[in-house]
Amino acid sequence: MKHSGCAVNKERHFSCEDCNGNVSGGFDASTSQIVLCQNNIRNEAHMNRVVTHELVHAFDHCRAHVNWFTDVRHLACSEVRAANLSGDCSLVNEIFRLHFGLKRHHQTCVRDRAILSILAVRNISKEVAQKAVDEVFESCFNDQEPFGRIPHNKTYARYAHRDFQNRDRYYSNI
Amino acid sequence: MADAGGWRPPRPCEAYRAEWTLCRSAGHLLHHYYVHGERPACEQWRRDLASCQEWEERRSAEAQRSLCESERARVQATRKHALVWTLRQSPPADWHLPLPQEEKDQ
Repeated sequence: MKHSGCAVNKERHFSCEDCNGNVSGGFDASTSQIVLCQNNIRNEAHMNRVVTHELVHAFDHCRAHVNWFTDVRHLACSEVRAANLSGDCSLVNEIFRLHFGLKRHHQTCVRDRAILSILAVRNISKEVAQKAVDEVFESCFNDQEPFGRIPHNKTYARYAHRDFQNRDRYYSNI
Repeated sequence: MADAGGWRPPRPCEAYRAEWTLCRSAGHLLHHYYVHGERPACEQWRRDLASCQEWEERRSAEAQRSLCESERARVQATRKHALVWTLRQSPPADWHLPLPQEEKDQ
């Protein structure tokens, strides 16, 4: 985030609030603030996942012109990326939700959770949300910035950070 | 590509070894199958490690060429899909601005 010009300040860019329903968090582009739903976040692992998810949205807001409120495809893209890269759709989390599947199940989960996230913040039909996700999925699922890979666990995250630190050497020698 | 005089492998050889080891691990096989529905392909990491070591030992031009080609292919693979949005030239102007006054006062 800092490298992209959006250094994160805990007091300015995070807010802990009570939320309606079972929403865990959100990113408010109008105030550049991540909201964490303190009444719905269950434990530290859940908190880590929600923070990562919302930081993906913040990162997209920082590096791109995302039309959050006027283009459902842009919202869909960021939700696909957040579901993909945050650990929302890990095998363990899906099993806890009683969604059993192995071969390519991650992609099914990313699609489904992106649609749910869109419906939670926009008053549109499921069909419209589904169509938007379908249209952007190929591009947005494969956009794994800033990690360059899906960070399944700390090892992958560590390798992604190593690559980030090595980026100057990398791009000047290919 | 930089001149041969100033060139070095894009990653340290330990990084190629680490990626190859991770790629062949049981955990990565499971993650990759869960995401892509197929086994991961790890051979290219092994080839890149060998090229890196060959360059370190003998400054082989062929090893340099092979590594550059391999890494450029990796970069191309990440760029093959058109982005849904336009990238910014600079971050949002209001990112660091204080919150609206009425919200601060609540």
